[in-house]
Amino acid sequence: MTNLAQLFFDAASLGGLYAMAALGIALIFGVMNLVNFAHGEYIAFCVFALIVPSTDAVAVMLLGRAPALLLVPLVLSLGAAIAIASEYAVFRHLRRADPVAMMISSFALGFVIRNALLAIYGGRPKAISLWPELNTPVAIVGADVPLLQLIVILTTLLVVAGLAGLLKKTRLGLEMRAAAENFTMARLLGVKANVVITGAFALSGALAAAVALIMATQTGVADVRMGGQIMLVAFIATVIGGLGSLPGAVAAGFLIGAASVLLQAFLPLDARPFRDAFLYSLVIVCLLVRPQGLFVPASAKPRV
Amino acid sequence: MSKLGVFDISVRYGKVPAITDLTFHLEEGERVFIAGPNGAGKSSLLNAICGRVPTTHGRIEMDGDLLTGRAPEAIARLGLSMVPEGREIFGSLTVEENLRVGTGIRRDAEAVETDIEEIFAAFPILGERRRAAAGALSGGQQQMLAIGRALMTNPKLMMVDEPSLGLAPKIVDQVYDTLVALQEERGLTLLIVEQSSLRAARVGGRMVLMRGGRIVGEGNAADMADRDALAQAYFGNTQPEAEEVA
Ligand SMILES: Nc1ncnc2c1ncn2[C@@H]1O[C@H](COP(=O)(O)OP(=O)(O)OP(=O)(O)O)[C@@H](O)[C@H]1O
Ligand SMILES: [Mg+2]
Repeated sequence: MTNLAQLFFDAASLGGLYAMAALGIALIFGVMNLVNFAHGEYIAFCVFALIVPSTDAVAVMLLGRAPALLLVPLVLSLGAAIAIASEYAVFRHLRRADPVAMMISSFALGFVIRNALLAIYGGRPKAISLWPELNTPVAIVGADVPLLQLIVILTTLLVVAGLAGLLKKTRLGLEMRAAAENFTMARLLGVKANVVITGAFALSGALAAAVALIMATQTGVADVRMGGQIMLVAFIATVIGGLGSLPGAVAAGFLIGAASVLLQAFLPLDARPFRDAFLYSLVIVCLLVRPQGLFVPASAKPRV
Repeated sequence: MSKLGVFDISVRYGKVPAITDLTFHLEEGERVFIAGPNGAGKSSLLNAICGRVPTTHGRIEMDGDLLTGRAPEAIARLGLSMVPEGREIFGSLTVEENLRVGTGIRRDAEAVETDIEEIFAAFPILGERRRAAAGALSGGQQQMLAIGRALMTNPKLMMVDEPSLGLAPKIVDQVYDTLVALQEERGLTLLIVEQSSLRAARVGGRMVLMRGGRIVGEGNAADMADRDALAQAYFGNTQPEAEEVA
């Protein structure tokens, strides 16, 4: 029979992963109304940065060989760098464009990155082994939990707490929150648009890198498509959470993770292959009931 | 050199002209009211000055620096601050955070703290609710916050778009008393959009009348209000017709 503690850890770690991916999208949406569909490709890019560029089927670790203390900051910086670079090369020129044009160019940018990865690394998924020892289970309250799950849960909590602290306690955080609510008004008060947007992209890219590290360790695969799948879930989480709401993105990420684990555990066996159909039906129900998102703060409504 | 020089500017939204070939000056330390019917282009003028909407023609200068073509944040950094129509406070931020958003351009960290206390002294209700979400304030309190927030950038020129809109007369008095006191204390130059010529006359200053995107009259606010009253007596207008008072 399914162990409840086991379920809890599965749900929390999957939800944590979704929450971090959703945060990366919500951050950018908040400051510039852009749903950045290239976010998934940032994730794939960071995974492939771990291995030696080649189209061989066997992956040889490159960055992935560095000790964790060096590897983690390096990959986070790489994620921040590709996000900042894409802002500089693409989105900066579209600030006054309408949101649909920006979204479409983010699709285009995603295709460019994905095809570049395909050209360099080939299309076949490759087995990689990053910190394999983290997949050994440890016994906690009667459940066999892979160490990685605990690390994912802990990392999510740290990331969420760290981000909340940054947003609440720092100058940049204050400016980002103000800009997320009313960008023009923030600029009229001297807040520099470029600083806020670059900051948001850097954080978003670093979050993509964190997701990449977790996925690479968990799945042991480097696959060009891996970013696209989690991007879809993360995007849905930001919509359900209320586009632009950071707490909403986190909560909805956890919610989707939990729903997906619970459905997997409790659906009748015959229905399990269709788990995602059930999951997305729940999403549709959510949006029918609260189209503006589950967690939109009352204060976000305009007052007269 | 005047504090603010607006030379022959035009603003249009698509094909709709909002301001046509408008020229206008503001002297250091002056208090100027802009009046005129709805759609006259008053807000558009303020928005053009602060860099929020582009001009299609002409130029705008402050202290001899060209503002035209600069980003809003660059203009704010030159010492221009704005209380926009509809206040646009940050509802999800606390009252105090709203006041701090504009302080990033200042280098005098201690003065920021005393200025915040000064705002709280002028508007005690803001001090009482400094940690409350600004979105939960009443309309009048939000107006006070928007003014306080604009002052916190330590501007040399401040523009206020319809401070009296939707406020009880008593609150409007209070808002103007504070504005005038702060202006005298800091040597601010004030540009205020105000529909009521009576109100402008009572506060005192110069008044500029706009209509159809142009300036159609100008004078001492008190004189203009008298003529306004006269025009109303003769023609029974509720909205002063610009030509008649000009
Ligand atoms: N964002 C906009 N898009 C299109 N047209 C606009 C916009 N803002 C203003 N206008 C038009 O420009 C003209 C001037 O508007 P503006 O808001 O400057 O007038 P106003 O004098 O401030 O009026 P009010 O007293 O109602 O605030 C109006 O005809 C208006 O319809
Ligand atoms: Mg107006």
